Amino acid sequence: MSDRTQPLSSRLLRGAHRTLTGLHPALESLLAGVVGLLVGAVLMYIWGYDPWRAYIALFRGAYGGSYEWASSIARGTPLVLTALTFSICLRAGMFNIGAEGQMYMGAIASVMIALFALPAGLHTIVGLVFAALAGAAWSLVPAFLKLTRGVHEVISTIMFNWIGRWFALYLAIYVLVDPARAEKTLSIPVGARFPILVRGTDLSYSVFLAVAVALVIYFVLWHTAVGYEVRAAGLNPTAARYGGIRNKRTMFLSFILGGMAAGLAGAAIVMGLPPTYAIFGGGAMPQLTNIGFDGMAVAMVGRNHPIGIILAALFFGGLNAGGRVMQFYGSNPVPLEMVRVVMGAIVLTMSIPELFRLFPAIKKQGERFVGFWRRAAQRSPRRSA
Amino acid sequence: MSWNDILALLRISLHAMVPITLTAVGEIVGETAGLFNIGLEGTLLISAFAAAIAAGAAGPTVGLLVGMGIGAAIGLVFSIINTYWKGTQMVTGIGINLFAMGFVAFGLIKLGAPGFHAVPRAAQLAKWRTPMGAMSPLILVALILPFVVYWFLKRTRAGLILKAVGEAPEAADVAGIRVNRVRLLATTFGGLLAGLAGAYMSVAWMGLVTKEFSAGRGFIALATVVFSGLNPLLALLGGFIFGFFQGLAEWMKTLPSKPIPSQFVSMLPYIVTLLVVSGAIGRVRFPKALGEPYKRE
Amino acid sequence: MNEERTNAASEATDGYFLRADGITKIYADGTVALRQATLEIRPREILGLLGENGAGKTTLTKILSGLLPPTKGRVVSPRGPVRFSSPREALDFGIGMVHQHFALVGTFTAAENVALSHERPFSFVQLGKTKEQLERLMAESGLRVPLDVPVSQLAVGEQQRVEILKVLSRDVDLLILDEPTSVLTPLEVDELFALLRRLRDKGTSIILITHKLKEVRSVTDRIVVLRQGELVGDVRTKETSAEQLAQLMVGRALDDASRTVELSDEDLPTRREARRADDGRVVLHVEDLVVRSDTGEIVVDHVSFDVHANEILGIAGVEGNGQSELVEALTGLRKAVSGTATINGTDILGVDPRAIYQLGVAHIPEDRWELGLVLPFTLAENAILGIHRWDEFRGPLSFLRWGRINRHVRGLIDRFEIQATGPSAPARSLSGGNQQKLIVGRELAKDPAIIVASQPTRGLDIGAAKYIRDLLSEMRDNGRAILLVSADLDEALARADRIAIMYEGKFMTIRTPDELDRETIGLLMGGVTTKEVA
Repeated sequence: MSDRTQPLSSRLLRGAHRTLTGLHPALESLLAGVVGLLVGAVLMYIWGYDPWRAYIALFRGAYGGSYEWASSIARGTPLVLTALTFSICLRAGMFNIGAEGQMYMGAIASVMIALFALPAGLHTIVGLVFAALAGAAWSLVPAFLKLTRGVHEVISTIMFNWIGRWFALYLAIYVLVDPARAEKTLSIPVGARFPILVRGTDLSYSVFLAVAVALVIYFVLWHTAVGYEVRAAGLNPTAARYGGIRNKRTMFLSFILGGMAAGLAGAAIVMGLPPTYAIFGGGAMPQLTNIGFDGMAVAMVGRNHPIGIILAALFFGGLNAGGRVMQFYGSNPVPLEMVRVVMGAIVLTMSIPELFRLFPAIKKQGERFVGFWRRAAQRSPRRSA
Repeated sequence: MSWNDILALLRISLHAMVPITLTAVGEIVGETAGLFNIGLEGTLLISAFAAAIAAGAAGPTVGLLVGMGIGAAIGLVFSIINTYWKGTQMVTGIGINLFAMGFVAFGLIKLGAPGFHAVPRAAQLAKWRTPMGAMSPLILVALILPFVVYWFLKRTRAGLILKAVGEAPEAADVAGIRVNRVRLLATTFGGLLAGLAGAYMSVAWMGLVTKEFSAGRGFIALATVVFSGLNPLLALLGGFIFGFFQGLAEWMKTLPSKPIPSQFVSMLPYIVTLLVVSGAIGRVRFPKALGEPYKRE
Repeated sequence: MNEERTNAASEATDGYFLRADGITKIYADGTVALRQATLEIRPREILGLLGENGAGKTTLTKILSGLLPPTKGRVVSPRGPVRFSSPREALDFGIGMVHQHFALVGTFTAAENVALSHERPFSFVQLGKTKEQLERLMAESGLRVPLDVPVSQLAVGEQQRVEILKVLSRDVDLLILDEPTSVLTPLEVDELFALLRRLRDKGTSIILITHKLKEVRSVTDRIVVLRQGELVGDVRTKETSAEQLAQLMVGRALDDASRTVELSDEDLPTRREARRADDGRVVLHVEDLVVRSDTGEIVVDHVSFDVHANEILGIAGVEGNGQSELVEALTGLRKAVSGTATINGTDILGVDPRAIYQLGVAHIPEDRWELGLVLPFTLAENAILGIHRWDEFRGPLSFLRWGRINRHVRGLIDRFEIQATGPSAPARSLSGGNQQKLIVGRELAKDPAIIVASQPTRGLDIGAAKYIRDLLSEMRDNGRAILLVSADLDEALARADRIAIMYEGKFMTIRTPDELDRETIGLLMGGVTTKEVA
């Protein structure tokens, strides 16, 4: 009954935090992954595809060779950052679903550095700073609205997703457009780009950025007093308040950090994506689309922990990369959108704690069943005697 | 602006109002009973898609029914997960949305044209010819339904039960009401309306389905619910307001000379939503038990 | 446990409405709430169910009214055993319960709340008919409530009347009321009792759960006393005295073998050795404190007291008499209406919790899980809640020095014998006792001037409870002031240097335990001032 005093967000979040059933969290994510793949397989089968072949192509395309690994990591890099956005805010007790919009703003902000010249390394850093600031600013407005007008952050961040997308598109088409090729923006100057890490792939040094940010977040959350306060406020605002923690402060901080991460995701893509290092206005920015939403899935599978997120991003990046291969493989190739279906199924599975409780329960039933038959088999010879 | 322009604007607005109002009214029922379904966006998308296919195969009415059925099914799954199975509503909703995005994109490819599918003329729900132009009969449904639901919530015992379950599930339990079952029914109904809304979009309004068809309408509907304070009549008003701005955006795109870049126009509905929600929040009161699965102690 | 059982129980067993037969209730966590309780409920009778907190009164009635299943034993009617799997079934059978915490929907009006419990979901809400019925009921029963106002806006007394009307509208044969008078003014109490007598005369059975001796003696025909889950008395009201009842309620624990662990000889010398309360300087000074509850009533009524260094001041009394709100006002969680409270001279009313900490106040909260701990956090993380910004634990850039923190926590684990796998064990894996030790350890690390301990041993096993109590005594000996709020009378008597008995927001008395005998205490806890003992 004391639950009623907690704000709506905290209550809605209760389940998202807890270790669902006592099974080790990593195990739960693994199980969800398996279930998701199974669901995908079933759907593929219904639609007349060969799931086995498709998955082989998928995993080969994701982890088959060094080129494939590089591809997977490249795809996973921005996901790490947008996942961090969602996770940081979740840890603070907030639902920030605005990574998509914040990411767009970060991407377009980084394009702005094409407008002036700076020495090479500095140029990159300035681009990142612009992106981080843009992302943070974009997430601060919903935070502010929540604080002053009580607007639920789910609605405000989602609205800002759309507003941000259109705004970024406008800037891409009208303001930062490349005079030579109207369908794209100015390209990031050569000196500011992330160098390619593995030749012939699109894996750039941006991966270090992502990992660095993840590690920084990890340290902040678990090894600083401020991060401690954020986590405490997210888990039990009442006790936190009691311990002298100002919940409003932690909320703002989490939104700022989250926005920065999303903005950096946008920068990582634009500044690290060969061959053009620009945003394509036509087609509504295809390289950027859905990075924010996929990031949420990564966050959940990664149990909202930076290390888990890195691993989950690797998995999801692999799904994306492998999907690209899968869609060309064989005589009846599976379109790569199936990958998103699998992702959705995984997240759905993660939301059902009871499902995980089913496993030990099924095991127990199975044992009882086996035991019953064993006893029955032992008894019958005696009866006939 | 000529008289014709005004009529055109009105017509587009009314059409745009329908999916938002329908979805919002459905979610009002669900939230009154205590469940917060963030998966409306995905529901809209999938039912639009399913309805389009069904209509292509068996005509518009079947298409609408299929849409409703799919929506109800999703609502049912959502509510089972979050009542009997004590799940997390937010995560389930997000999962539904992700799944729907992939599923529909995938399905569209299967149908031939990636990202797009046109519903054949014959499969679309015929529009009525009115002085204002061609109008879908479902507009009438969207206009009447809020009143029906309003009356239902206020004047029947079922409405009373819904409110009790959302406000004070313990009191309802003591009064002998099966809390989880009521929530199940409420959210399934909400899903049904969202399904109808989606089906309307593909079969009765636009005549096509695209990858990002729902365009945030599910979330706009959620915002409308907030704005309405769980009052279906206000949801009608809210739906009209948002529909108007979407219509405005559409209409401006058809203008020969574009005073404002189309992107800003496209932003309008979302900005308006934000403004309205920010302005309305002060007086909104959610049911006390919203978002919390019920456990008898 | 051979206590008195007079003629009442052995009276003719026909003519009963319901009988509880050997009911035992053991909760999932092992608490034995009821032990072999056998009780008859007769028509045309007002039965008083008397006992302290945790005696089992509410549990018993919940079992009778279908909210809980018994672990052992059964409920029997003249027609055979009955089992209710929901309150609705019990209601259909004719049993209605008015709970202490009303089962009302706040935003509904009285009429709507009553309409909720009637049949047929898809019928139209015939508020008109319901209101007519209610008007009739109100005329008959003498209860008046506005029918068209949202219940949350009604005064608590009125809300309770709505609850009663709700139950009466179902024409019950057994009406159970759980501590109904705790929210009523004296006038309303009289009206309620008049109503109960009217109902009884019409044939209804009534069970009145209460801890108030005066009331139970004034309106009941028969009284049943529960103590620690056992039925220890079943007497006719006219044939018993307040003293007898008080004795039954609180028991003669000193003779009681199973309780010597708590009230051992070791405890008595500790108390004797303690310096007399007047010697130490005043740490907490409270004057004329008035606090309101969430529903607006005054629950702390002009209370004044001092707590000195080297002293444990115990606040005893049945829960719900204002103790929680008093503690909340003193620890910054609730605003007081008027009065003063100072710690070593500094004002603490209306100050936020952190500042109060810094003034030297440590708080062991009543509700471990909501206030005291962040359950998903580890031991270590919980141990520094509130002191996480100490220089000792922080490095440059506000980095936490987990090395030092873990050492500190290990020290706590050793010192307080906390059973856990280590500093990184999640707090929720600890047993209640160990969780409490963690909280105590954390609070003590703050080197407080005064410790406010609110029900510190609730839910703990005997060993852990004794440990905590010893700790508090030790703290007292080390010069700290301790305010101990406890619904466990034995604990308060054994450990406190002075005891205040709280009843309905007032301190009935503040004395040393030697000056009070159990009987007087029981009377005071029941609201009977010594002058009124007849």
